[in-house]
Amino acid sequence: MAFINMVCYMKKYLLIVLTGLIWACGSNGTGTEEPTPQEDGKDRKAVLSHLADQVIIPAYVNFKIKFDAMQAKSEAFINQPNTNNLAAFRSAWTEAYIEWQKVELFDFGPAEKQTIRNFYNIYPANESGILANINDPSSNLEVPASYAQQGFPALDFLLNGLAKTDEEIVAYYIAPTEGAKRLAYVKRLTGRMATLLDKVISEWNSTYRETYISKTGLDISSSTSLMINGFVLHYERFIRSGKFGIPSGAMLNGVIAPDKVEAFYKKDISLALAKTAHQAYVDFFNGKAVKTGVEGPSIKTYLDALKAKDSSTGKNLSEMINAQFESTKVKLDPLRPNLYEEVKSNNQAMVAVYTEMQKTVRMLKVDMTSAMSITITYTDNDGD
Amino acid sequence: MGIKQYLQKTNSAAPLAVFRICFGFMLFASMIRFWSKGWIETLYLMPTYFFTFYGFEWVKPWGEYTYALFFICALSAFLVALGLFYRVASISLFLSFSYIELIDKSTYLNHYYFISLLCLMMVFLPAQVYFSIDSYRDKQIRAQFIPQWNIDSIKLMMAILYFYAGLAKVNSDWLFHAQPLSIWLPARNDMPIIGFLFNYAWIPYLFSWFGCLYDLSIPFLLWNKMSRAWAYMAVIVFHVLTALLFPIGMFPHIMMVAALIFFSADFHQKVINRLVSILGLPKETPPIASTYQSPPLLHWGFVLFFVFQLLFPFRYLAYPGELFWTEEGYRFSWRVMLMEKAGYAQFTVKGTNGLQAVVNNNLHLSTLQEKMMSTQPDMILQYAHYLREYYANQGFSSPKVYVDSYVALNGRLGKPLINPQTDLAKEQDSFTHKTWILPFNDTIKGF
Repeated sequence: MAFINMVCYMKKYLLIVLTGLIWACGSNGTGTEEPTPQEDGKDRKAVLSHLADQVIIPAYVNFKIKFDAMQAKSEAFINQPNTNNLAAFRSAWTEAYIEWQKVELFDFGPAEKQTIRNFYNIYPANESGILANINDPSSNLEVPASYAQQGFPALDFLLNGLAKTDEEIVAYYIAPTEGAKRLAYVKRLTGRMATLLDKVISEWNSTYRETYISKTGLDISSSTSLMINGFVLHYERFIRSGKFGIPSGAMLNGVIAPDKVEAFYKKDISLALAKTAHQAYVDFFNGKAVKTGVEGPSIKTYLDALKAKDSSTGKNLSEMINAQFESTKVKLDPLRPNLYEEVKSNNQAMVAVYTEMQKTVRMLKVDMTSAMSITITYTDNDGD
Repeated sequence: MGIKQYLQKTNSAAPLAVFRICFGFMLFASMIRFWSKGWIETLYLMPTYFFTFYGFEWVKPWGEYTYALFFICALSAFLVALGLFYRVASISLFLSFSYIELIDKSTYLNHYYFISLLCLMMVFLPAQVYFSIDSYRDKQIRAQFIPQWNIDSIKLMMAILYFYAGLAKVNSDWLFHAQPLSIWLPARNDMPIIGFLFNYAWIPYLFSWFGCLYDLSIPFLLWNKMSRAWAYMAVIVFHVLTALLFPIGMFPHIMMVAALIFFSADFHQKVINRLVSILGLPKETPPIASTYQSPPLLHWGFVLFFVFQLLFPFRYLAYPGELFWTEEGYRFSWRVMLMEKAGYAQFTVKGTNGLQAVVNNNLHLSTLQEKMMSTQPDMILQYAHYLREYYANQGFSSPKVYVDSYVALNGRLGKPLINPQTDLAKEQDSFTHKTWILPFNDTIKGF
């Protein structure tokens, strides 16, 4: 009998719970004091809109200005190869390369589709490949094997790596018969970069913005999931490994590889590139508007709205991540501008940056994605 | 009622026949779905390494012939549904399905284990004696009645699944912190109509408590005639909701259909009559007083099976440390949807000849495998052993394998899971406690 009573009791209980659930689904939550999602920051559409309109699209606009300037200077140099035009081209290249660091991290959506990152910034440059391409104007620049033969690193080689003095470099381009081919390759490279950039920007300006802000789910094909996956991967692979882990040898045998620093031929801008990339990363996390510098809905505000925190200290996860970014900056600051020299003479400082970034990677890859419930699997799971 | 009387009690063969048809077609559909999603390729052909189960290291995918394995499995399920060559088909269904599930731990799901167990039971149950092609063709095997315990054993298996799943939810993370639902539900706040609800902090609590009470009470409510109709409605609501909210594939559908077994013989007879008239099938004329007799002593086999089922999920008690953290005794225990666990595992291999490498997991594992491996100590060890062999072939002399691991569980901040000083190349896998798992330093109270 006791069993029957229990069953009856349970049945009643279940009815109450079910009724409660149906009531809860039916009502609009009116009468509760809780803020609406727009106010409390869990609205992913608000985050995505802000990032698209205030960060990503304006950042591409800024980059395009610098890129166009570089292309104009390259045209001037191609038309009149002299030391003045070379210096102007080089300086425009430097500015564009630095500005590129502020958009490279958007490795999702149109940028991922065009794999623009791979065509723009795979280093070290493949010197022999570049030289071979100069002699073969029909060489294919759209395959993975050609990554290191184009983009900023290839231009680095062509602007800074051919000879010691500018006079000698100019001589390389005005050489009879060969010179024209060399200039043609420079033109080909900037032209290819322009085409890719135009594709990415025009897609953001036409259809992709809407797709991006409307696919608000968190499944594998959603904007947030793709963005976070690309965002985390970027830090791990291109900021941590590419800029510090690999050149410092921290990732392989402890054998240093100074020739694998970014901007290897120009050398003295490698730290500036790394710092710019790191700062752009931090700003994106915090949703800092490119034009106004004001922070808006972002990964940070979303994490705060989810109340992601360290349960033992009660500290917000976003604060901890920002603190970790700050510790990394502290390690970046004392480095000298030329990372090639740093690897050769002060490598423990490079390894220290890597180690600090490694801590950031864990927080981004595990704590952040877990708090946001971003899935990286593509099959069913039952959560175990 | 004594045991003897209970064992002699009979019931209509209709419920088991309907169950066989539903179960067979569901499995058949699952196999087709699996195949059409390209998962045979991505899960069993593309990976170069597979995480085998302890004691089942001999289970390997069949290369291109893995498709044949799936074909056998799908065909067997189809034959079981029809009740054609039932004995052979049910055995090959159990073997092929279980074989597939044993290939790689990273695809382990509780509901696959559940299906394997049901398949095993079906081998010994007389699901073909009524409303099947076998019984139509061979009057000798035809029967209208079967032992009551044959039907009850399916119900009991379902009851164990639900009740143990409910028991596993009686823990402080689930009930008092609404974890992991507090993480998972806000992720669905863009769903139409009900999405906005998931922005409220109390909703995960409501869902957690409802889910726990549902799992604990539903077997009893289904078993009891008075509450059955209501309980079945709850089954529908619950599983439709979970199907909408979480990527759990066929499981909700299988459970909704399987729960029909609790309904009366009359109900199932009506289903059969309806099928007969819709499909225009010939009426079967069972011989008078045709009662199927289970082989003697078979019920003892079932008793052993159920004793095992009741005890095995509690094996975690034999291990020190927090179950959710170590996962020692976690699988095969109906622990479903209990953890949001994410991890990161970076391996360093050092040869005594000075060679050293940081492993890029992408080169060896699929995304799913890496995700699963990075949070589960036994898989970390298996992978470390694989790396030991791999790097030995690369010229590393007696490679040592270390892991830098970092795991977050149910909203807690991540921390190292494995002792980074331990040379995993030297450790052996066994059923004993893994001392190189670092302590959790937190408690999750409850089952």
